[in-house]
Amino acid sequence: MAAGTVTPGVAPAVEVDAVGKSFGHAPVLADVSFDVQAGQVLGILGPNGAGKTTLIRILTTMYRPSSGRFAVAGVDGRRPREIRRFIGVLPESAGYPRIQTGDEYLTYHARLFGLSREQAKDAARKTLEIVQLGDRAGSLIATYSRGMLQRLGIARVLISEPRVVFLDEPTLGLDPAGRRHVLDTIRRISAEDGRTILLSTHVLADAEEICSRILVLNRGRIAAQGTVVEVSRRFGADRHASLSLPPQQAEAGRALLRSLAGVKQVSAAAGEPGALTVVFDGQTDPDRAIRLVVGSLLDAGIAVRSFELDRARLSDAFLAITQDDAR
Amino acid sequence: MTAIAAPTRRPAGWTVVAGRELRDLWAGGRALTLTTVYSLFLSVVVYLLASSTNLNFLEQRESVTLTAQLAIAVGALLAMILAADAISGERERSTLEATLLSPVSRRALVVGKLAAAFSIWVAAWLIVIPYIWFLGRGVDIVWEAIACTFVVGTLLAAGLTAFAMLVSIAVDSNRASLSVSLLVLLALLAPTQLPSSAQSGWAGESLYRLNPVTAGEHYVGKLLTNGHGWTQDLDWLVSPMIAAVALLLLTAVMASSLTLTGWRER
Repeated sequence: MAAGTVTPGVAPAVEVDAVGKSFGHAPVLADVSFDVQAGQVLGILGPNGAGKTTLIRILTTMYRPSSGRFAVAGVDGRRPREIRRFIGVLPESAGYPRIQTGDEYLTYHARLFGLSREQAKDAARKTLEIVQLGDRAGSLIATYSRGMLQRLGIARVLISEPRVVFLDEPTLGLDPAGRRHVLDTIRRISAEDGRTILLSTHVLADAEEICSRILVLNRGRIAAQGTVVEVSRRFGADRHASLSLPPQQAEAGRALLRSLAGVKQVSAAAGEPGALTVVFDGQTDPDRAIRLVVGSLLDAGIAVRSFELDRARLSDAFLAITQDDAR
Repeated sequence: MTAIAAPTRRPAGWTVVAGRELRDLWAGGRALTLTTVYSLFLSVVVYLLASSTNLNFLEQRESVTLTAQLAIAVGALLAMILAADAISGERERSTLEATLLSPVSRRALVVGKLAAAFSIWVAAWLIVIPYIWFLGRGVDIVWEAIACTFVVGTLLAAGLTAFAMLVSIAVDSNRASLSVSLLVLLALLAPTQLPSSAQSGWAGESLYRLNPVTAGEHYVGKLLTNGHGWTQDLDWLVSPMIAAVALLLLTAVMASSLTLTGWRER
């Protein structure tokens, strides 16, 4: 199996080996390989049409791969019904039966997983409490807001106590409060229950916030994978630092900084005497950048009033990855 | 996070699916609406049969036969409509994926939905009983008509419901599913409107016998209007029986290939 952080003695929760998928003659996924260790939150990123939903549908047994193999929760992909016992899935743009109540909906899905009527009712009640819909359990789903529907979907995902959770665009179309609520719930599922989560999203801030690793798909292939920091650094655009020097030393400081290796550009901030903006190349390590700039200036006897280094931004890396591949 | 009791156990069977579908159909109002329209239709027909000077030349037996035949055709049509919507409708409403993601078998899912759709035929049969009783009182064919309507209607409704379910499994558009199902039913019903001369002769009779709908309706006519015995024209029930069994078996087989997007994966 392919790359991924390997914990000795622990089987990955998800193993994907050279999986490909074509619809007719159109390839949608090609040679996708990765592992997800138990308890990790993997963010699956990519532009529209990158193959994120197709990948999730393969791993959740909705589609058969055209090539390659995979296993989820230790179960081979050729045993789809068994895999479905161990997974919980929130599909993108899932629909809900408007004439059922939230309670009825969850009870039904719990029963599909083999719970008795009483067990199912109990599980539905508890799960609705977890997603903070307990007070709306008896309301028709037709009366739920979009955020509530998304939480109901997450409750359905949790009702069967899945080992691996797949969430396809869980914050799509939510207002900031709804998004916060969903992200908090996902974080709790991961941190407190230790479930493995695969999260497909367009919202890079979501991935930065809750993913322990990310995988960037572009045109059906893996374009990058690693931790958010690793990917941001490896593919990041130029990094910026803002610093403030005494105005009378600004010109000397600017000249010194221009001569340093790794510094691409130094410019004075308009209307702010002594304020400089330094541009490093994307590969510059943040510790080195600080030592380089602050150390050099101090060694030269130039006072540094303030220094702020922008962190590597996933959005920059994402654009670099997807635009490079597009060229 | 609160721990939930560990899920055990064997995934649910078709009864859980059927229970949910029945509640959605009947408590949700869709089946009630259809049966209400059906009841109104039967009321109008029976009123005309009983009171109209243009139609009351029919013998009592013929009135009962016509009512039974209509109940069978319309009852089967209603079951067909519900079956045609069962899978493709869920695809369109994006509710199918959540169900397919459960470990319940595809076959159990389809059988549960089929049973729920079929329930409207049972309701249609129950509804027609008082009408048959009203029209048939005094000629001693009431119980025969009720039983015959049930047997023939059950065979035809089972076959047509299974056919509509097959279409619903295959296509991803609800409109296509309903159109194909209704078109086939209309094609099967069309020969009943042909003049009796077209039904005679070797070719005409073969066509009539092979078509499960016309064969079934013919059997009802022979039994109720002509007063034949139950076994006298049993050969006319061969094609409805074969169609029902074959389509139900085919549905059970094809159910395992039920996918998120229909026959064409996208």
